[in-house]
Amino acid sequence: MNRFKLVIPLLLVLVAVLCFAPAAWAFCGFYVAKADTKLYNQASQVIIARDGDRTVLTMANDFQGEVKDFAMVVPVPTVLQKEQVHVAESKIIERLDAFSAPRLVEYFDSDPCAVDDRVFEAAPAPRSAASNQLESKISDRSLGVTVEARFNVGEYDIVILSAKESGGLETWLNRNGYKIPRGAKQLLKPYIRSSMKFFVAKVNLDKFEKSGYQLLRPLQISYQSPKFMLPIRLGMINATKEQDLLVYILSPQGQAEITNYRTVKIPSNTNIPVFVKDEFGEFYKSMFQTVYTKEDKKVAFLEYAWDMSSCDPCSAEPLTSEELKQAGVFWLDGNSTRSIPASPGFGRPFPVNNNVFITRLHIRYTRDKFPEDPMFQQTSNRESFQGRYILQHPFTGELKCQAGREYKRSLPKRFEQEAQTLAKLTNWNIQEIRQKMRLNGSNLTNSWWNNFLAWLGL
Amino acid sequence: MLFKDIRDYQILFLGLFLVLGIGTRDWTLRSPLIAVAIATCLFTQWILSLVVSKEPKIGQFTSLRSALITALGLSLLLRADHWTTMVLAGISAIASKFLFQVGDKHFFNPANFGIISALVLAPDAWVSPGQWGEEWWYGLLFAGTGGMILQRVGRWDTTAAFLGAYSLLEAIRNLWLGWTWDVYCHRLMSGSLLLFALFMVTDPRSIPNARLGRIIWAVCIAIVTFILRNYFFISTAVFWALFVLAPLTILIDVLWSAPQFSWLKQEAGGQRTNKLNLKIEV
Repeated sequence: MNRFKLVIPLLLVLVAVLCFAPAAWAFCGFYVAKADTKLYNQASQVIIARDGDRTVLTMANDFQGEVKDFAMVVPVPTVLQKEQVHVAESKIIERLDAFSAPRLVEYFDSDPCAVDDRVFEAAPAPRSAASNQLESKISDRSLGVTVEARFNVGEYDIVILSAKESGGLETWLNRNGYKIPRGAKQLLKPYIRSSMKFFVAKVNLDKFEKSGYQLLRPLQISYQSPKFMLPIRLGMINATKEQDLLVYILSPQGQAEITNYRTVKIPSNTNIPVFVKDEFGEFYKSMFQTVYTKEDKKVAFLEYAWDMSSCDPCSAEPLTSEELKQAGVFWLDGNSTRSIPASPGFGRPFPVNNNVFITRLHIRYTRDKFPEDPMFQQTSNRESFQGRYILQHPFTGELKCQAGREYKRSLPKRFEQEAQTLAKLTNWNIQEIRQKMRLNGSNLTNSWWNNFLAWLGL
Repeated sequence: MLFKDIRDYQILFLGLFLVLGIGTRDWTLRSPLIAVAIATCLFTQWILSLVVSKEPKIGQFTSLRSALITALGLSLLLRADHWTTMVLAGISAIASKFLFQVGDKHFFNPANFGIISALVLAPDAWVSPGQWGEEWWYGLLFAGTGGMILQRVGRWDTTAAFLGAYSLLEAIRNLWLGWTWDVYCHRLMSGSLLLFALFMVTDPRSIPNARLGRIIWAVCIAIVTFILRNYFFISTAVFWALFVLAPLTILIDVLWSAPQFSWLKQEAGGQRTNKLNLKIEV
């Protein structure tokens, strides 16, 4: 009897090993298209470069009105000085977006009568430097609001405020010409009470005109704080519908994730019909909406996680060290205080040279499903992930051998599978998909009951 | 013989959570690491009970159940990039039972000790507190299965004290900050918190023996968790709180003495019928 008891745990171990053998994770194919943020109206984009408790946060403005009406109020953990605020180039966000966007790849079936052949891709690496800190002080206590610092950076006028109570802060902002939406007071209070400061920016019109820039450039702030969160709640005041937020987290460690919501991988690595090549953007939008609804709208989606020294397949060239620096990467500098924890004989050593790991999180949030500001953490998970969708073109040449005939017979089943995958991912009508694929008549060797079910819309 | 020991249920439930986690939560959970955790814990337990303990043989075999529970707990909660980290966690978890004893009672929760060791000693260990989400049916499942075990081992008071104190503190903070109550609910509905409260903080072998002592101890853990989470922004606050306060068990056991818990005297339905096995320890 005792022996029997011992056998059970051992069997469990064996079963665990056999059942969950790791899936081989190889990426390849020719890159064709990407689903970048141009798909979404008003998607906020944020780059967070973080190492230890030092953070460089770059915020892209999705502001669409008159530049003179632009005002931004962001709760920040510490008082920022001029040296801690920069204006970044819009291009850097576009570069990160392009590098990490969900992608479409295609394969071409080789002649089944000949030998198999496939292509692999990869690309070389970047590096980087930069960061800062200092002070100055002005006061205005009548409203319980203290102007901790006031300066301009590029085309922006910046004020750093600390406040004692939310009413005073709201009044101060209104008096000083910042258009603050109604209802902001209630939402400012929790941030004030958590002793956060307020980073307030508006556009200096003279400088903006002189600068010759057409669009507002992203603001970049650096600070040191154990708080690793994004205050999105303020942005929900006037929102009537779902808002999209793309967060690019750059870390020397590995993947980042959210600690107070689930982080879920976007569906990936599936074969879809070839016609999607022309409507990849539409496909991705529908797929995202479908999975977002399925997850009950309260998760964050992981769209990309990769060591930035390479990509496979590349939807854009990896960032150069200069670009990484623009994105806020401040380590790899030589004078970083961070030391990689040495494990006495355990674990692998971290790669020292190109340690910038990117995590792209896509959060679609609403007031009712995302009540709390997302909090993040970096992990040592260096597993690569990408949103990747595969087009597999059938071989169109002449087929004379036996293998060729079998290949041809296998195609309708494969097409049908692709159609069903696409319908499942996007919630599109399967009949329309089949029509687009021209999967009818002679081409379709479906059984009558499958056709019947499809006709019923199942 | 199976399911006479309450730990068999615990193994069943934790195993179920693991399967559910892999199936319905797309975790970074890696199956080879689960196998490594189980193998390490069982092996360490076996070796150490051969070397250290002078128990009768039957005690050694039943103690493998505890090792398996520890392994499942580690698999559910701890993530690592490399398998050696899981080995480190497994060995330190089991070894802590043999090393840190007062009288014949160990006072660190083994899985918790393993998690903290890995977080401190290995560069690649982490805990994913958000990955259970906050779905109601998970809450119900945890509460149901956890409640059943707690009923049998008679430790529901600890869970109630911990959750009660923690949710009270969070409520006060929420009120003071002026957040709406859905923020509060969101913070408390975390599956990871429930899992901890129902399955980890209640381990009857390592926590105080007397009811009053347990309540005081659980409230202390809730307070430390609250402070670490909200003022030091540590996402693994619960584990640190339990780790730091575990040694307090010794003091509490001195202050409020009560008979020590033994798995085998807890027969089905909570009836204490088997007096013969009173001396068998884990």
